[in-house]
Amino acid sequence: MKGDKFINKLKEKITVKDVSRMPEEQITITVDRADLPEAVRMLYYDMGGWLSTMVPNDERAINGNYVLYYAISMEGGKMTPEDELPPEDKCWITVKAYIPAHDPTYPSVTCKVPAAVWYEREAYDMFGLVAVGLPDPRRLMLSDDWPDGLYPLRKDAMEYNYRPDPVDHADEPDYDFMHPEGSGTLDIPLGPLHITSDEPGHFRLYCDGDTIIDADYRLFYQHRGMEKLAENRMSYDQMAFLAERVCGICGYAHATACIEAAERAIDMEIPRRAQAIRIINQEIERLHSHMLNIGLACEVTGNINAFMHIFRIREYSMELAQLVSGGRKTYGNVVVGGMRRDISAKETKRGLELLDIMETQIKEVWEAVMEDDSQVSRWKGVGILDRQVARDFSAVGPNIRGSGFKRDTRYDHPYDFHDAIDFKVIVEDGGDVFARETVRYGELLQTISIIRQCFELMPSGSIVINHSKRIIPNAFALANNEAPRGENIHWIQHGNAHKVNRWRCRAATYNNWPSLRYQFRGNTIADAALIVCSMDPCYSCTDRTTLIDVKTGKSKILSHDELKRYAQTLKNHPMKNM
Amino acid sequence: MKLLDMTLKYGNATHDYPFSPYAVPEGFRGKPEYEYDLCIGCTACAVACPSNAMNVELNEAKDKLVWEFDCGRCIYCGRCDEVCPTGAIRLGQNFETAVRFNKEDLIETGELELEHCLKCNKAFTTKKLIAYCVQNFLKVGWTQEVIDEKTKYIQTCPECKKHDAAGLITDYKGARR
Ligand code: SF4
Ligand code: SF4
Repeated sequence: MKGDKFINKLKEKITVKDVSRMPEEQITITVDRADLPEAVRMLYYDMGGWLSTMVPNDERAINGNYVLYYAISMEGGKMTPEDELPPEDKCWITVKAYIPAHDPTYPSVTCKVPAAVWYEREAYDMFGLVAVGLPDPRRLMLSDDWPDGLYPLRKDAMEYNYRPDPVDHADEPDYDFMHPEGSGTLDIPLGPLHITSDEPGHFRLYCDGDTIIDADYRLFYQHRGMEKLAENRMSYDQMAFLAERVCGICGYAHATACIEAAERAIDMEIPRRAQAIRIINQEIERLHSHMLNIGLACEVTGNINAFMHIFRIREYSMELAQLVSGGRKTYGNVVVGGMRRDISAKETKRGLELLDIMETQIKEVWEAVMEDDSQVSRWKGVGILDRQVARDFSAVGPNIRGSGFKRDTRYDHPYDFHDAIDFKVIVEDGGDVFARETVRYGELLQTISIIRQCFELMPSGSIVINHSKRIIPNAFALANNEAPRGENIHWIQHGNAHKVNRWRCRAATYNNWPSLRYQFRGNTIADAALIVCSMDPCYSCTDRTTLIDVKTGKSKILSHDELKRYAQTLKNHPMKNM
Repeated sequence: MKLLDMTLKYGNATHDYPFSPYAVPEGFRGKPEYEYDLCIGCTACAVACPSNAMNVELNEAKDKLVWEFDCGRCIYCGRCDEVCPTGAIRLGQNFETAVRFNKEDLIETGELELEHCLKCNKAFTTKKLIAYCVQNFLKVGWTQEVIDEKTKYIQTCPECKKHDAAGLITDYKGARR
């Protein structure tokens, strides 16, 4: 059976206690917690796995333990073109380990697989599970003044709407930013609002002269506790609408992933027509998201003209969304078992027209941008994502495809209607901003072709199933989809009474943030904003930047406008008057 | 330069809005429109609404049922439209939902008369809901006698019904003994 190969290899070194499959291509193996790091490492590095998500769970009510699930996507290391698994071998292997409630510790996997770092920090914040040996045990999600010892996602910890009293500003503990060793670096905080996306996140850039030598950042200023909310009081009918609000740009991808996880856990097949409509909506989302990002990458470097044109074209994709989904965003359409809204023949016809318009105009504007040497030179060689760093941190989306990895979850683990559709995974080798934007451009054209194929191949018939399946308590599954920013993974464990017991939502950018630090290194301050932008981050928003000079130890806080003006014009260096 | 040529080629991309209306496609999901006369206070919309934008509750004095819609919470999903049995709530095409300074302006309400239980005289549902059911009875083609009996039945509150049912079971058991 699928995946046996890997499990047998694992068994040579490790005792695998239990193997289960649900659905077919998602295999869960149970190991002792002491074997956890080695099991994950073997699957990750020896057999070509990537860390898709890690789900800590409070199953004390079910079996008396906390449980960790490391979901690893087996697809091949992809460091060379040959280093990839054949489609029939690709699967997910979830390594499961029980953590006894009286001793909530486990050996850290991060020491062997760096990609787990954020997940393990989060497991501590949310569940109080301690990864012994974790190199970076600082808080990740909870604010600095959150009460110690209150772990929100433990079932008995608190109500979803509990809000601890805010601590007085003066008493608020300081977050411990990492500091590079040595004298003479300049510390630049960038945030709390980011220059391109106007979203919160606090960056600290450590500079030597104009060059960034290291960076650290603090995010999650807008953690909203959605998982807790859904577990506490939502039904599946409501959850899709909540999942959509994870993001303002690619929320549809979250809704589908969330609902599909619920469907897969009970092996529910939805009608082909509904599958095709899901894909159409998702690809529309990619259209407007990629155009937004390419536009912003132009704007941040001062090319306002190109930015305006791209946004003009983007409006067609919004119109397409209105047409087929009834809203400017494709929201509000997914339900367990299918879709709520069908697409009529008239809409299809107009949709195809819009696609043609977009295709010609996108090509036109991209050609113009490529001819502009000053634009292209601002993108080239900037913010390089090293291939080994990308491999170590399981980066996703255009971010990793710009570094030469053929990694796209639509291609690795096709879902829905994708098995009927032809498309090419766009890969570029440069690893810089230029490569990432080129990938996005290529994907725009692919996306247009995918939507066209869906319109043409979409079978007729119903868009929802008949109710016959029942939720099975404690059944779980993960669902993947390729959002504009990369692979989104949702993990759902059913509870009783048609409610969810645990929902773990992992947005694409979660896997991209940890490697950003390495992307910053060696670049100039003027490019910092551009680098973050080219990653196309998803953090709900930072307006200031602190510059710290390593040589003098002085620091300076830049305003949003100052930094933006400098990034666009490269005039009046921010450190001139320090 | 090419970009400037494009600007000339495609001309003005903006709309005249708000000085002239902005057309939206046919299936556009705009603000839910409420038709008070059709609403029977069945609370289906309030149950379906994922974001709690719609609520149907007794007022403070407990003498009226209040239907309330808070546009500020609405996500325009159209679940209410889907479930409303009478078409009292329909998504319209209106997307202009801004208000000035006062969030209260986003709230819309409708008050409905209450029906009292034949047995215990407690208020338990709206008059209009009962009328709506009776009207549907007429369509079925029952005899007046059956209709009268059923009407009486629906004019009894759930608690009294439960009570009655329990009574029936006890009677039945008693009869067997
Ligand atoms: S459209 Fe959706 S959110 Fe708005 S009132 Fe209706 S059900 Fe509630
Ligand atoms: S009649 Fe329609 S609008 Fe009135 S309470 Fe019922 S569902 Fe809501």
